Amino acid sequence: MSFLRARLATRQRSLALLSALALMVVVACGRGADSRPQGVQRDGTDSSHNSRTAVAQADTDDFGAPLPIDAQFASRVVSLNPTATEVIFAIGAESRLVGRSRWDEFPAEAQKVASLGDGIRPNVEAVLGARPTLVILYAAAENRAAAEAFKNAGVRTITLRVDRIAQFMSLCTRLGLALGAPERARQVADSVQRTLDAVRAATRGVKPVSVVWPLWQSPVLVVGRGSYLDELIEIAGGVNVFHDMSAPSPPVSVEEIAKRDPEIVIASAKTSATLRASGPWRAVGAMRANHLVLDDPAVTGRPSVVLGMAAVALARALHPELAGSIP
Amino acid sequence: MIEALPPVRGAREVWLAAAIGGVLLLSIALVAVAVGAVSVPVRDVLRALAGSGDASIVAIVRDLRLPRVLLAGCVGAGLAMSGGALQGTLRNPLAEPYLLGVSGGAAVGAVLLLGMGVSNPSLLTLGAFGGAAAATLLVAAIARVVGGSGDTRLLLMAGVVVGAFSNAAILVALADSPPERIRGALWWMMGSAADATWPSLGRVALAVAILGALLLWWARDLDVLVLGDEPAAALGVDVDRAARRVFLVASWLAAATVAAAGLIGFVGLVVPNLARALGARRHRPMMVVSAIYGAVLLIAADLLARTVRAPADLPLGAVTALIGVPFFLTRLRKLAG
Repeated sequence: MSFLRARLATRQRSLALLSALALMVVVACGRGADSRPQGVQRDGTDSSHNSRTAVAQADTDDFGAPLPIDAQFASRVVSLNPTATEVIFAIGAESRLVGRSRWDEFPAEAQKVASLGDGIRPNVEAVLGARPTLVILYAAAENRAAAEAFKNAGVRTITLRVDRIAQFMSLCTRLGLALGAPERARQVADSVQRTLDAVRAATRGVKPVSVVWPLWQSPVLVVGRGSYLDELIEIAGGVNVFHDMSAPSPPVSVEEIAKRDPEIVIASAKTSATLRASGPWRAVGAMRANHLVLDDPAVTGRPSVVLGMAAVALARALHPELAGSIP
Repeated sequence: MIEALPPVRGAREVWLAAAIGGVLLLSIALVAVAVGAVSVPVRDVLRALAGSGDASIVAIVRDLRLPRVLLAGCVGAGLAMSGGALQGTLRNPLAEPYLLGVSGGAAVGAVLLLGMGVSNPSLLTLGAFGGAAAATLLVAAIARVVGGSGDTRLLLMAGVVVGAFSNAAILVALADSPPERIRGALWWMMGSAADATWPSLGRVALAVAILGALLLWWARDLDVLVLGDEPAAALGVDVDRAARRVFLVASWLAAATVAAAGLIGFVGLVVPNLARALGARRHRPMMVVSAIYGAVLLIAADLLARTVRAPADLPLGAVTALIGVPFFLTRLRKLAG
């Protein structure tokens, strides 16, 4: 046993030494590769040290690349990330927007911006045709090749993933930095956060209502713990019966929904009409009792600047008795 | 090749196989209705089947499980009969319904509708059946233009060509769709009985009853076709006409099952071979035994599909492939040997 312990200790020391060496190499490479102009002003302080520290701590995109923070480069922006597009409008930087994906539908003014196709596996040539200096992508594995292609073409990219409320707040912060409007971005994020906090305060102490939120019918996909909608349910005074499932939209059977017996089914008007007409869904008690809450996909359908509105709408629907105290 | 001159033996064997199959079918159907995410005592299941007892249990048993079990049974029976008839027409024990463009045509019909945002199950069923029916007519037309629709080699090759074209059409239709529609289309293509409803069950049951009865009616032609074109013609069978009508009806039967439950492979391949191994050599008893065991196989596969990875369903096509691939390899080895 002592022999084994000695070998393990030796191996751990070797690993620690290797890790330290690897860290030194990474730090050295990181400094060497940092091509950002030095001395960028942030919060009134002139410090290249501060900038570098920020990059090391939080100023990276979701592919781990350093976030470009010299806002001058972002004069022509293509956003292929619907949440980012909406935030760009919210912080008043829309004049720089020269392209969007065809799924970027909000706000309504965004539809005046040229559509350049899909946001996942985008048409790189079509995007480069808009002569962008910055491309904002959704941080999906399928977009790694496109990010590399833009980098090779000399165009900077920021890749951002938004599945959770915290990721939306982080997106605001990072876009604000990248587009030179950190204060305005902070105001947008704070405004959403204040509304969410107010709704949470209003529903604190009420008996939570158990809900299921079907997103798709064939296969049946429901809201799981990985989705911002699960967070909204909790903030609005509900409890998602599929909170134990970590995926954002796990597939489940209708009988499993019947087994978990939610008090309320949340669905859009179109989905609820289909569910009402469906034989199998009659097995769900809430459907038989017609305990349906209608949601508006235009408000709840995306984790964006309307998150606060979505929480308010949901709380009012789940707890009509609190209507007076919900903002 | 399927053995020529099927011997008139084993009538007792066949009846025994059919009787055992019937008992198995009843047993597996009862188990499938009794087992699910919600634990329901057998006594309550029986009461719910009669329409009495707790409303939620009645709804689970009568609206959820029963149509699903019956749909799986009908689809299994239809696919197995279709496979048996096509193996007879093409004189190839490794033929199956999807080889002749049925799956591709049905998928094109359904995926085009899904791509257009149609989610109404009845319309999807209609689209899938229309696509499959059109594909089989196209296959027959190609074979006829090239050299005679009764030529089974031409039918096979035309089926492969139409299938390949259908795959390309599906890719084009899906390339422009949002992720959730692609997921829905993929799910549909992997096969599932999860969307079973009484109306969808009614449609597929009617198709299996009518088209299956036609195949049984023409079973004697198949027995003669197995002898070869010239002997069959000498016995008074119009070879071209017999092959064409069996091909079309068997394909439409498969199309009806695809429209109801998506693409479920290997049932049409495995079960007729199993029926022959059980002694059912002539086509009529072979198709009856195939229908029974096809239903047993698919109800069992669906039971696995909804219990193995609960609370999610496994794609039914994946479960039947797990059963079918080893069988296919065994047959290949036997043929090579």
